[in-house]
Amino acid sequence: MTFFDLARKNAWRKPLRSLLLMVCIAVAFLIYGLTASFLAGTQGTSAASDDILGVMSAGGRTQPLPMAHAARLAADPDIAALAYMTRLRGFVAAEKNVVAVSAADPERLIAVNGKGLGLTPELVAAIGQARDKVLVGRALMEAQGWTVGQHIAVTAFDVAKRDGSRDWRFEIAGVFEGENAASDTYFIIARYDYINAARARGKDTVDAFIVRPREGVPPGELAARIDTLFANSAAPTRTQSEKQFLEAFLRQYADIGLIVDLVVGAAFVTLLMIVVNTMVFAVRERTFEIGVLKTLGFSRLKIMALILGETLFIFAVGGSIGLVLAKLATVFASPALGLVFSPPIAAKALMIIAVLGLATGALPAFNAMRTPIIKAFRTR
Amino acid sequence: MTQGNDQDPYIALHGLQKGYRMGGEAIPIFSGLDLSIPRGDFVAVMGPSGSGKSTLLNMLAGIDRPDAGTLRIGNSRLDQMGEAARSSWRAHHMGIVFQFYNLLPMLTAAENVELPLLLKPLSRKERRIRVEKVLDLVGLAGREKQYPAMMSGGQQQRVGIARAIVSDPGLLLCDEPTGDLDRTSADEVLEMLRFLNRVLEKTIVMVTHDPQAALYARRTLHLYKGDFVEEKRAA
Repeated sequence: MTFFDLARKNAWRKPLRSLLLMVCIAVAFLIYGLTASFLAGTQGTSAASDDILGVMSAGGRTQPLPMAHAARLAADPDIAALAYMTRLRGFVAAEKNVVAVSAADPERLIAVNGKGLGLTPELVAAIGQARDKVLVGRALMEAQGWTVGQHIAVTAFDVAKRDGSRDWRFEIAGVFEGENAASDTYFIIARYDYINAARARGKDTVDAFIVRPREGVPPGELAARIDTLFANSAAPTRTQSEKQFLEAFLRQYADIGLIVDLVVGAAFVTLLMIVVNTMVFAVRERTFEIGVLKTLGFSRLKIMALILGETLFIFAVGGSIGLVLAKLATVFASPALGLVFSPPIAAKALMIIAVLGLATGALPAFNAMRTPIIKAFRTR
Repeated sequence: MTQGNDQDPYIALHGLQKGYRMGGEAIPIFSGLDLSIPRGDFVAVMGPSGSGKSTLLNMLAGIDRPDAGTLRIGNSRLDQMGEAARSSWRAHHMGIVFQFYNLLPMLTAAENVELPLLLKPLSRKERRIRVEKVLDLVGLAGREKQYPAMMSGGQQQRVGIARAIVSDPGLLLCDEPTGDLDRTSADEVLEMLRFLNRVLEKTIVMVTHDPQAALYARRTLHLYKGDFVEEKRAA
């Protein structure tokens, strides 16, 4: 038997009570794992780059920028690569089946963010074969059950063609995978020249320029310089990193991060109170035995460590179960949910397990540590 | 802490004072108790309830401190030690046998016996060897994996004795060790204590109400109202 075995056996003295505590803890960490995965995944912000800059209209996302800006941007020696894109939102078949199309020049896009999107020269060559060819992200491809070579029609919400129709017909030329599981691949890449030539309004405008700074150039400084460059033009710009853009975009609807933090925080505070209360009673029931252990020579610190070890054990088992369930949920959930259970989430969860395990054990451990032996013996 | 020598008694109490407060009223237990016990002695302490037997045992065990006077066991001045030092002293120098065994119910016999060894720098193997040895000594070889609830009172008390001696302490304190046992089991336990005293040369102080139990000791001290009033030596 080891000191840890003793703590573990203490924890299992009342199996039902320990099991219920572990279930509570597992549920709390399942909630944490899922919400953190949701934030990291669906939002795409964890995989979004801090280095790639998006240049948009200072007037808002819906205001286009003139293609003429491209020449002035390209003249900046601190810009290593430049791409542009325009967005098209619509639905496929049913109105609730919303998809997003980013129309760009594939050659330029691979130069700016080929790695992040998982674009390969083969994919660029495939989309280059015809103007209506598109590349579809892996998550969207799986969610829709599409296949390469399939023809799809996207009915745009607000981008009409010159003939008045809003149906855009595409042929899937390939699938881009994204850099990793956290990458956002729930959209379509189309060719800008196709959309630009066919659309009724907004010709030769873009929704955003995408800029990759030259190595060693601080993105923040370059962003400020770009905005200064166009400050007095007819179309002033607002330049942000990809990550800043996504976060700002999501905050338009709600501060999801804050909501998630509040939900998870409430779950953990409730958990803390339940476990502290249970452990205080559990340890109080054993006051006499703590007196026996002290009589055998267990010091106050050892008694404290024993009870902290017990709560840590309960948290470690319950928390691990919750995290494993969260991981399984992210594996089996629909890609459309975009849940990503990344190593940093697991590391943070383990830290929370340790902190909560110690915090919940602190009060009963302190009580047990301070109880004099003679007083402990009077409890029987 | 003072240094002792071979001529000194193993346990020495001088002018020991102890009292409690109850409802604001001071209740004296000892008002200058003296006691000397040589190494290897087996002393039974008898007396009516309230005479101070348990208080004396608590102080000898270092779980209570005198208000005044000196209390030395071996080379250790318990009256001058802080709580941490007394914990350490108990772990290394003293074993205790309780009336109701006080075994931890979720641990097996072997694990209960092993408890004091967790406080010593021993390997798992060394601990196992020692546990097997003392369980064999108290006649419980083969019952290592039994839980206390599966054992008789006499067997549980033998586990309690094994736990008390597994660290090889010089002093064994027994608090009514046969108080919860039938006569046969009580005699077996007392024989074992006598063996530990005679063969392994443990110094034993046993508090008891049972005159039969006291017969196993080398001498019996009678405590009355906080003072020793009579001493009998075994024939």
